[in-house]
Amino acid sequence: MIKLHQLSKKYEKFEAIQSVSLTVNKGEIHGIIGASGAGKSTLLRLMNLLEMPDAGEVEVDGQTLTKLKSRELRQARKSIGMIFQHFNLVANKTVYENVLVSLELSNVLRKERPGRVMECLRFVGLESLMEKYPAQLSGGQKQRVAIARALANKPKVLLCDEPTSSLDPNTTAEVLGVLENVNKSLGVTIVIVSHEMDVIKSICTKVTVMANGKVFETLATTPQGIQTIDNHPQYFVDQLKKDKMDHA
Amino acid sequence: MPEILVQYQAEIVRSIGETFVMVGVSILAAILVGLPVGTLLFLCRKGSVLENRFIFSTLNLLVNIIRSFPFLLLVVFLIPFTRIIIGTAIGTAAATVPLAIIAIAHYSRLVEQSLLDVPKGVIEAAISMGATVRQVIFKFLYVEARSGLVLGLTTSIISFISYSTIMGVVGGGGIGDFAIRYGYQQFKTELMMYMIIIMVIFVQLIQFTGTTIARRIDKR
Ligand SMILES: Nc1ncnc2c1ncn2[C@@H]1O[C@H](COP(=O)(O)OP(=O)(O)O)[C@@H](O)[C@H]1O
Ligand SMILES: [Mg+2]
Repeated sequence: MIKLHQLSKKYEKFEAIQSVSLTVNKGEIHGIIGASGAGKSTLLRLMNLLEMPDAGEVEVDGQTLTKLKSRELRQARKSIGMIFQHFNLVANKTVYENVLVSLELSNVLRKERPGRVMECLRFVGLESLMEKYPAQLSGGQKQRVAIARALANKPKVLLCDEPTSSLDPNTTAEVLGVLENVNKSLGVTIVIVSHEMDVIKSICTKVTVMANGKVFETLATTPQGIQTIDNHPQYFVDQLKKDKMDHA
Repeated sequence: MPEILVQYQAEIVRSIGETFVMVGVSILAAILVGLPVGTLLFLCRKGSVLENRFIFSTLNLLVNIIRSFPFLLLVVFLIPFTRIIIGTAIGTAAATVPLAIIAIAHYSRLVEQSLLDVPKGVIEAAISMGATVRQVIFKFLYVEARSGLVLGLTTSIISFISYSTIMGVVGGGGIGDFAIRYGYQQFKTELMMYMIIIMVIFVQLIQFTGTTIARRIDKR
């Protein structure tokens, strides 16, 4: 689904990505992990040409993005969804309008838009909050709006840059659950960049480890399942007691 | 109503009308030209969507030069240009030329500032969704910056009123000119005070309206 061929990217003299080749297969949840500054985000942003490579090719769904004219590139981007650590929603648009805008950018018929928006909001479980503004939502809800927005144009691929890194453990589980569902029930290929091992282990079927702008290793993994934390106060008490017993 | 106001009613009404014309044209120029110029300044800067060093430096320099002129000198300096455009350098219509030019320079800077407050990530999200530059501007930038744009326009309008008061030098008229000619030069201090009160009321009304609208449309 995604093929990176000997990609390089420099900032001034600094080589952020050094001749990286990588294949992401259709249907995968492909994790990219590594230390801060390893080049994970840069590599992800090269996949939809948010960053232009200095050398190498990017192919997504059979199209070589690096050869497209700007108009064709914009068209191609519509089937590559992207979500971000800080959500990047339009604060002055409601939840509904935030999802609607991605349909306005495409040529979706006006009368088909409301139904499609609601379908996406229902998928992420937020149809009841459609009139709210982002400032009125929790972090997890904001990220779900961002996912709904990314799904509106029925993408083949969803790129996720640290999607849970500004969320607490509960909302992290909530967002990971939605992402897994996007992959399973919509068949969307997902690439997820994270520095959190738990996040990568929970849902990824393949993981690329990066270091110093290069791929260190890519390996197949078995998703461990999403850790959910019980909100019930007794859970916390039990956990605390358990630790005590272990030490006794 | 105080007798002196009744006595000069016709002149006062005409002066207010002249001020409205001068400030009105300034507002139009600010919106129709200042907004696009400010947007271009934002888009053409380094690292932005339309990065273009030549356009950015040229606009930036022009705006700086116009804004660094003492306004009275700008008015005088522009007389030949005004004559070409309006046919005369004297009168209310002629006065609108320098006013429009300072209005464009003034508001475009404030537009640029408001757009710089939009989180970079929002623009990035727009581009990742395949937005054109036009769509980035109208569906993302202006939506996100709208309260800043309104507050900036409010500040600008109040400056335009202030600029308009000295247009008496080229026969532009207006309340400021009236206050000087009758109130100051003919020692009718009471009349001058009334004119000042009228201006204060206008400014208060504009500021109140601007602040209220900006607050209403800000959902951040
Ligand atoms: N726009 C940029 N300008 C200059 N250097 C950058 C830019 N973006 C990233 N870098 C540098 O490239 C390296 C990799 O960055 P990044 O891909 O964000 O790392 P990661 O996501 O793995 O933490 C870092 O050293 C970072 O400082
Ligand atoms: Mg990163």
